[in-house]
Amino acid sequence: MSLLVLVLAPMAGAALLALTRAARIPILHGAVTLVTLASAASVVMDVAGAGSVTVLAGHLRADGLSAWMIGLVALVTGLAGVEAPRQVPAAEARRFYPLFHLFVATMLLALGTDDVGLMWVAVEGTTLASVFLVNLERTRASVEAAYKYLLICSVGVAIAFVGTVLVYFADAQQFGHEAHALRWTTLVRLAPGLPAPVMELAFVFLVVGYGTKAGLAPMHTWLPDAHSEAPAPVSALMSGVLLSVGVYAILRFKTVVDLASGPRFTGRLLIVLGLASMAVAAAFLWAPASYKRMLAYSSIEHIGVVSLGLGFGGAWGVAGAMLHVANHALAKSVLFLLSGRIRAAFGSADVSAVRGLLSAMPSTGRGFLFAMLALMGLPPFGLFLSEVLIFGAGLQSGHGIVVGTCLVLLVIAFAGLLRTAHTMLYGTAPAVADRPGWLRSLPIGFALLLLAITGVAWPPGLAAALHHIARLLGP
Amino acid sequence: MTTATNFLAFLGLVTTLLIVWRQSWPGRRRLFVAQSLLLAALAAVIAIYARRPGLFLVAAAVVLLKALVIPRALDRMAAGAPIRPVTPGRSAGMALLVAGAMIVVAYAIMLPVNAVTTLPTEGGIPLAFAMALIGLFVTVTGRDALGHVLGFLMLENGIFALALLATYGLPGLVEAGVFLDVLVIVLLMEGVVLQIRREHDSIAVDQLRELRE
Repeated sequence: MSLLVLVLAPMAGAALLALTRAARIPILHGAVTLVTLASAASVVMDVAGAGSVTVLAGHLRADGLSAWMIGLVALVTGLAGVEAPRQVPAAEARRFYPLFHLFVATMLLALGTDDVGLMWVAVEGTTLASVFLVNLERTRASVEAAYKYLLICSVGVAIAFVGTVLVYFADAQQFGHEAHALRWTTLVRLAPGLPAPVMELAFVFLVVGYGTKAGLAPMHTWLPDAHSEAPAPVSALMSGVLLSVGVYAILRFKTVVDLASGPRFTGRLLIVLGLASMAVAAAFLWAPASYKRMLAYSSIEHIGVVSLGLGFGGAWGVAGAMLHVANHALAKSVLFLLSGRIRAAFGSADVSAVRGLLSAMPSTGRGFLFAMLALMGLPPFGLFLSEVLIFGAGLQSGHGIVVGTCLVLLVIAFAGLLRTAHTMLYGTAPAVADRPGWLRSLPIGFALLLLAITGVAWPPGLAAALHHIARLLGP
Repeated sequence: MTTATNFLAFLGLVTTLLIVWRQSWPGRRRLFVAQSLLLAALAAVIAIYARRPGLFLVAAAVVLLKALVIPRALDRMAAGAPIRPVTPGRSAGMALLVAGAMIVVAYAIMLPVNAVTTLPTEGGIPLAFAMALIGLFVTVTGRDALGHVLGFLMLENGIFALALLATYGLPGLVEAGVFLDVLVIVLLMEGVVLQIRREHDSIAVDQLRELRE
């Protein structure tokens, strides 16, 4: 029941926000965000108790993997939802808030459905709902970013549709037109009897298609533009969780294809794309012109790391990848939200325009510093631990050379990030209008605290949850 | 049924090649409408022979959407654009050659699919996939926004034909979602393209150079 509310509430909220009077928008936005958070928490609790929940005759279903991702989407929605009223100009509220919640609703639908066809529709929906958000400022640069985003992601997701058709075809050839043939649960049940060559072909289309949404190189070309032109709360959602929704879609199919043809094929493909993504990101992280673009390229790097974790496979690889998705969601959404504040204060997203951040905006600067350290993969933050898990899985599965290459790329990316952070944080600060306040720092501080917790002291249940997800997805 | 579906898939591929060959916008638009009508006929044929009455609805939706609503949106995007985006004198020979090669590639890629099926419609599967591949090629090499959108729609038509031939259509809910998505994509594209034209006074892609490293 809470799963139904989770998908419908933001959708209904979006419709109401589009119709209501301007004065009521902020309060309604708060209410819709709260309902989304509460129903997500309820779904996560239900799944933790019962293993999975289904509603609407099985159309909607959440298992451990869905619940993990739904929790993350809700968390980042909360962070972005709190920050939005401070960063989105009142004149744009009518355009921003309905699409913001529609965007969240499409992501939650993609995660909360058992039907991989419906998941496809929802993933395409995430692009459609966010195109105008990318173009909110209506500048030459933002309209160009929106155009590339819409075109490249639509083509990508169309290619994923070819893969979905082929999976359905294999299914129908082997077992006739079984009811609910496109349900993931049905596919997993029938997968061992599906023809391996067709499933492998389908997986290539699915990885190229959903990999475009996930920002895997070489299909990433839209990403730095869209993520840097979107307003900060939208960038936080896009980088923090939307990319991972693409990974989630790949992961659902990887489970099915592995059952049909063994994990070697899918693993290799994901390792190659992961390495390519890390290499592209490392090259562009060396001297980024804009700090929002830097954050976008760093997302490509981390999605590459996640892809490697899934490619290495095994319990540690999958658990590490899932933990990395969560850690990256927290660190990156904090950084994008803070980058919105920095841009508002300094009037530019260029690295060269920002100097002395720590003295000019102390609380924002400190948050930026800590989140950057987390993003670079330094302990005690969680990304360090999840990277260790993933590379451990790589060594265990005999991918020593791949792991070595990754470590070199990580060091290059690390140096680039450090250099940019140093330029921005220190130096003589120009006079900027900072609006400090402990209330503003609270959600950011909370997210950073969570990042430290996943790195140092796992709360009870986290290990069990990761173990559960790894069992769900792999033999 | 095999003769009918093979013939329709073949005609679909021919319209795709003709779109690659034709350079003038009105000609390309007419060919796209013709291709969409062929797909509607394909859906209707399969509906009759495979006893899938739901596919009649799909055929009607194709006619409404891809032969009426979307071409009008394309016209609004094209208003004021030059009729021939390609420099005069440049022939379509190279593009046609690539498209021809893609038909061979499509057969090669679809080998594992044809190996496991005895569907009466299997002959059309590589042809439909070739339509999709050539659509992708038109999108990637498109020199203005119209070329991009048209290429995307050709890709979409190819995939639609592939789904019809390989699976006799997807479940209704998914099919409806796909139609909705295509319509919204084209309408959003129209909005974005019209804004680009206001900003740049052109819809040629080489004008888009704000976001470079």
